[in-house]
Amino acid sequence: MSAAQADGKPRRAPSWPIVLERELRDLWTGGRALVLCLAFSLLLSAIAYLVATNTDLNFLEQRESVGLTLQVSVAVGSLLALLVAGDAISGERERGTLETLLLTPLSRRQLVVGKLLAALSLWLAAFAVTAPYVWKLGRGVGIVVDALAVGFVVGTLLAVFLASLGMLISLFSGSNRFTLSLSLFVLLALFAPSQLPSSAEKGWAGELLVRINPVTAGEHFIGRIVVNGHSWSEDISWLVAPVVAAVLFAVLAPLVAGRFLQLRGGVEG
Amino acid sequence: MTLVVEAHGIAKRFGQLLAVEDLTVEVQAGDVLGILGPNGAGKTTAVRVLTTILKPSRGTFSVAGIPHSRPDEIRRRIGVLPESAGYPGVQTGEQYLQYHARLYGRSRAHARASARSLLDEVGLLDRSRSPIATYSRGMRQRLGIARALVNEPAVVFLDEPTLGLDPAGQKQVLGNVRAIARERGAAVLLSTHLLHEVEQSCSHVLILNRGRNVAVGTVSDVISRAAAPRRARLQVGPEDADRAVSTLASVREVELVEHAEGQPGSLTVRFGARNGEQGSSPNDAVRALVDAGIALLSFELDGARLGDAFLEMTEAT
Repeated sequence: MSAAQADGKPRRAPSWPIVLERELRDLWTGGRALVLCLAFSLLLSAIAYLVATNTDLNFLEQRESVGLTLQVSVAVGSLLALLVAGDAISGERERGTLETLLLTPLSRRQLVVGKLLAALSLWLAAFAVTAPYVWKLGRGVGIVVDALAVGFVVGTLLAVFLASLGMLISLFSGSNRFTLSLSLFVLLALFAPSQLPSSAEKGWAGELLVRINPVTAGEHFIGRIVVNGHSWSEDISWLVAPVVAAVLFAVLAPLVAGRFLQLRGGVEG
Repeated sequence: MTLVVEAHGIAKRFGQLLAVEDLTVEVQAGDVLGILGPNGAGKTTAVRVLTTILKPSRGTFSVAGIPHSRPDEIRRRIGVLPESAGYPGVQTGEQYLQYHARLYGRSRAHARASARSLLDEVGLLDRSRSPIATYSRGMRQRLGIARALVNEPAVVFLDEPTLGLDPAGQKQVLGNVRAIARERGAAVLLSTHLLHEVEQSCSHVLILNRGRNVAVGTVSDVISRAAAPRRARLQVGPEDADRAVSTLASVREVELVEHAEGQPGSLTVRFGARNGEQGSSPNDAVRALVDAGIALLSFELDGARLGDAFLEMTEAT
């Protein structure tokens, strides 16, 4: 044994790819991600069926049906990334596996980066599931490529933002239940403005509320491009909040982990 | 021998609670140090400080010559089996060890070879491709020990490694512990509250109570320092009993000798200090009986075990 180990000289390459590989294997071969994707597929099938029948009955324009499907896909797909990222640290704490990871030379930042990227695989899978539905619902009106592009961009930005947010909560949380409760509460709070009547969004305060909230701004951008047929450059300002939120939180999560990730949840006394 | 752990005046405070106070200990390569203490004595906190998981509130320490101010480097030189460690049930034992070996910078091929070799060493090679969820508790503990060895550590910390194991599982784990020190030359710090584990496996012992170290040294030193034998039960032939009583009564260290009630030939002896001496050695008493031609059928000392030392030290403080 010693001979085998002695040959393998330790190297100081980044460790996050090793964490990412392990996390992806555990997520996908362990079945958890597959179950979530299956549930996502069923939901999207139901939504697609409803919008398709409504389109056939002329209750919905074809563009509206694509926009609605895409918005649901982005919302739920990024929620999946949030759920997996939320489990990343507090789940390890609960299962008693965090201490052994903290005892390795792996830096806490690299641990979080690897886990964050693995969580984003859920969004990529959700997008892959969405693509055929968008193609089926949008063919004939020339919006499929644009719809897929805007869905991918907005969905990726929101998934990065929400997964990083879930990771930040997970860093300080002592239990998975708390992480998931708080993450879902924050998510619902972010989605709440999208339920306001459209008249409420017309004043400057209403528009500001929608614009500074990355979730509502992203969904709004999808609507403008897919439903209203605007060009990207025309409404690019709606992407400011999602981009800022994604970059800010994606940078913040590893930085905070490097400083505050510890064996127990909370802040060391 | 090389000192691989040196701790001086370590303290760890959680708010108002002082979990470890003034811990000072030195461990040499190849030693097995048993860290003993009742529940809540601070054993796990002490291990977590020395393994850099917790920062000490006060004091200094070094592991493998690396000062505690460089925790990343210390982690490269230690192996740890934490108390109640969890395991990812979906991974196989081999995958688990490979993953940890790669986190220590091993290449994929060497991580695989190392994993299989370590699984062989702890007797799990035949289950290397089974998910950890199917392992028994004893197998998981042995897997944890294997994981603690993936980086060929200079110091191995094992926190309650036999907790919840049946006697066969305890025996296997303790066999692994002894092999680590003997064959690898690593120092082992074994935290436990099971006294027989320390007696069986450790060369040295540190007794903690309420966060303070109350004794440290070789096992025999600690026993003799804390709880020298004070009483003995001995058995002679019933026909020799009266003669044995009078013989023992004349021995300097014997304070009292009497017949055990209802047990012919069974005597109880109490040793005591005389003239200010630590007169508790039973040797003179045994020699006197032999010289008098009395056949000694059995002789059992009370107070000559680590358990007696432990009780005396932890109850007295």
